[in-house]
Amino acid sequence: MPGPRPRSIRRYRSLYLLFLPVALYFILFSYYPFAKGIAMSFQGNRLIGPKPFVGLANYREVLADPDFLRAVLNTLVIGLSDLVLYFALSLFLALCIAELGSRLARRAVQTFAYLPYLFSWSVIAGVWILVFDQRGIVNAIGGLLGAEPTFFLAEPGLARPLIIGMGVWRSVGYFALLFTVAITDIDPVLYEAARIDGASRLRQIASVTLPSLRPTMKVVILLLVMGVLTHFDEMFVMQNPANRTRIATLLVYVFDMGIVKFKTGFATAGATVVMAGTLILAGLARKALRYDEA
Amino acid sequence: MRPDRLPLAARALVWAVALLAILVMGLPMANVLAVSLSSPGSSESPGLVLFPAEPSLEGYAFVWGTIDLWRPFLNTLYVSAAGTVLHAILAALGGYVLAQPELPGRKALTSFVLLTMTIPAELTLVSIYAVNKQFHLVNRYAGLILNGAASGFSILLMRGYFSAIPRSLSEAARIDGCPEPGIFWRIFLRLAKPGLATVATLELIRRWNNIAMTVTLVSDMAKTTLPVVLRWLLFEMSTASGAAYVYANAKMAAVVISALPLVALYAFAQRFFVAGALAGSVKG
Repeated sequence: MPGPRPRSIRRYRSLYLLFLPVALYFILFSYYPFAKGIAMSFQGNRLIGPKPFVGLANYREVLADPDFLRAVLNTLVIGLSDLVLYFALSLFLALCIAELGSRLARRAVQTFAYLPYLFSWSVIAGVWILVFDQRGIVNAIGGLLGAEPTFFLAEPGLARPLIIGMGVWRSVGYFALLFTVAITDIDPVLYEAARIDGASRLRQIASVTLPSLRPTMKVVILLLVMGVLTHFDEMFVMQNPANRTRIATLLVYVFDMGIVKFKTGFATAGATVVMAGTLILAGLARKALRYDEA
Repeated sequence: MRPDRLPLAARALVWAVALLAILVMGLPMANVLAVSLSSPGSSESPGLVLFPAEPSLEGYAFVWGTIDLWRPFLNTLYVSAAGTVLHAILAALGGYVLAQPELPGRKALTSFVLLTMTIPAELTLVSIYAVNKQFHLVNRYAGLILNGAASGFSILLMRGYFSAIPRSLSEAARIDGCPEPGIFWRIFLRLAKPGLATVATLELIRRWNNIAMTVTLVSDMAKTTLPVVLRWLLFEMSTASGAAYVYANAKMAAVVISALPLVALYAFAQRFFVAGALAGSVKG
């Protein structure tokens, strides 16, 4: 039986009171900016003071802006490459780590691979400009193989692969960790049964390990899909006048329009388009993965 | 041969991949560390440097003393620490309330929290700027601390930890006349400490490395954080007219100073890092 009634009412009141700061935070810093962003996208480009209502003019202008269309292309090329490479390489690395016979080796690989995930994109950029410098490691190794030294960072054609490479270097260990833990959680009885059926180790990987990883794969893919349109930091850090047109993604475009050039109506219209795109992509991915079923 | 061993070729591949992973991850880090500890002249010598040819701390002295990297370092420390404490408190409060099974309106409150997770903050940077301008939080530490003070993810994580605590414990305390805040503080918070540590660790990493929110809210170089100053040092300082040439040893010293605190923390609190990584991958 629950306690006497007045007491439980008092109890609920104190619980609502405990929730108040959280509710206030979300209303002021989450819901309000969201609503304001949508409102601003239908208004003229002014940050403060009365703004005229302009209907869909901002949307029409954004969707016709060649810079916006280029940003869409950059976002899709970089975002989808990241998605495929993060997923495939981290899964492959985790499968390899699981097959290492030595516990020490497993831990060493896992730790080294995970470390870059703790670095800010500026730190990764610092590593990159050293390693890909004209006098850096990559050119030194290339030289041993007889390649001409290349100034990677100044080649506009290499801007996208370099950015994608940064992401892979930073993130593969993190996603591999998710897979590795899932592999450790697989019930050994399954392997035992496969062994009794005479399955080789390769066969066991194909018919026990991989099927058992399906839930983790779904989560990782969904996380990656949600991220496709929201890449910002790495481009912001690496951008310069020479590579901008190839790596400026949608969010860099929005930031540039809104925060740098103060064309707020324009920028929030762009942001709203990206938001809608993200929701649609995530919805499609959930459907394709049958995420909500099993 | 045991039937459950990989064929020799596959085993060779597995070890080759392991070795390659360690080299690809480890060599650049060793390279950065070695160059940061070199003298200015020797730091620009070509090739793979794994040990400083002329060991020197000049790079560290230059970025810390001459470029005043201590300022963004302390800014980052202050904003990250204060923000993380606030974030952990709100995560505990929100998670505790949502974990009360018979609370009227619990479902509505949960949806209210869940809904905030569908729109990443990066997508609303422009309106976040406008709103913070309105609240007079632009170019102030308070702005960096307050934005991100709560997240649906952390609240749900704490709710999970609180829900796992047996209800008989709180019922017993309630019968003994323990007041509600005491039950929250002495029973729930104490038992959910690993959860709180996980939330705090994740938030600290996020805040220490944050770039998007910082460049949106702060344009004043004296108040900004390490990643922003590091970017300027790496790419823009040398090209700024009248500025001194920045040698590779100084650039890499700044990289090491930016990365080291989290790496050191990782060495001590590895299990919370792993728990945090996994919390993000629980299917929900």
